[in-house]
Amino acid sequence: MSVRMVARRLGSKLLPRFAPAATLHSHATSFGFKEVNEEEKSQLVGNVFTKVASNYDIMNDLMSGGLHRLWKDRLVSKLSPFPGMKHLDVAGGTGDVAFRILETINSVNRRAKEDTREDDLQEETQIYVCDINPNMLNVGKKRAQERGLGDLGSLVWVEGDAEKLTFKDDSMDGYTIAFGIRNVTHIGKVLAEAYRVLKKGGRFLCLELSHVDTPVFKQLYDYYSFSVIPVVGELVAGDRDSYQYLVESVRRFPPQEVFASMIADAGFQKVEYENLVGGVVAIHSGLKI
Amino acid sequence: MVRGSRGVFEISKTLSEILVCPLSKQPLRVCEKSNYLISDAIGVSFPIVDGIPCLVPRDGEIIETEDTPSDSKVDSFDTKKDHKTTQD
Repeated sequence: MSVRMVARRLGSKLLPRFAPAATLHSHATSFGFKEVNEEEKSQLVGNVFTKVASNYDIMNDLMSGGLHRLWKDRLVSKLSPFPGMKHLDVAGGTGDVAFRILETINSVNRRAKEDTREDDLQEETQIYVCDINPNMLNVGKKRAQERGLGDLGSLVWVEGDAEKLTFKDDSMDGYTIAFGIRNVTHIGKVLAEAYRVLKKGGRFLCLELSHVDTPVFKQLYDYYSFSVIPVVGELVAGDRDSYQYLVESVRRFPPQEVFASMIADAGFQKVEYENLVGGVVAIHSGLKI
Repeated sequence: MVRGSRGVFEISKTLSEILVCPLSKQPLRVCEKSNYLISDAIGVSFPIVDGIPCLVPRDGEIIETEDTPSDSKVDSFDTKKDHKTTQD
């Protein structure tokens, strides 16, 4: 795994950037490889996730060979969750990241047996799961029940738009978005909202499918994405088109360096990213200081 | 935390303090009778469905008062024209 740092200096950027306006416009009007109106994109993406919701977790396991679990573990370990934290997981629909954060905090609590305030802190821990799609949230709520996390009160499910968050300024200790940001219409607005809701000292973490550059591996990955995944989608979920959209949307999302500079533009400091599996996924992080 | 049982819900103090209107970013008022969160700043109400607050801008409905005609719409906000249902 390689870590790259994008340092933010006043008045200049260390790294060359693509014309940001063109990149942002093309993201807002692309639905995979198709061109669409900005207004349509949200609706089209919504349709995809309504359709995939019930098979979402099985398909993640199949498509990534179970690796997505390790990637999410890595994301949560970088977050360093603590009891009493207020955390927002955006586009967190089926709950994978939220459950991991809560279970990490609960295990921290169990280790701190001598701490008499641990019950208070456990009460105060609040993980907000925000998703624009009610079907995904309903799947998440059910899974929470099955995992025994449903009645704790620490998990709060909210239907909301990442571009227009429904939380107060400076209210969150942490913000995560896993495999969600490539589906939004306006990346810049999502980053600005993330910055707004985070407290000073709060961390932004984004796990997303990204770009592979290594020659041979890239060809294998492209073959896998375009020839295998939509077929698996057809066989398992009866839905080739949604999975075609998913693989196309990965290619249209800005590459690691460009996305890192967008995060810096939103005001975050200490912006860095870590490639996993040669860039198949990347975890970008930033700090609100 | 929000718990739903038989259509009546409780909304914890922590939650009601942290939630704001997604459009105006002003505080929301809880209306327990009708299961809605009200944004007085812009006169819009947001439903709570199955214990989940629906705070996407398009979920909001303009609150009709005696002074406004029943079909008035505010174009600058993303309000929907039909009632949204999550059950088919």
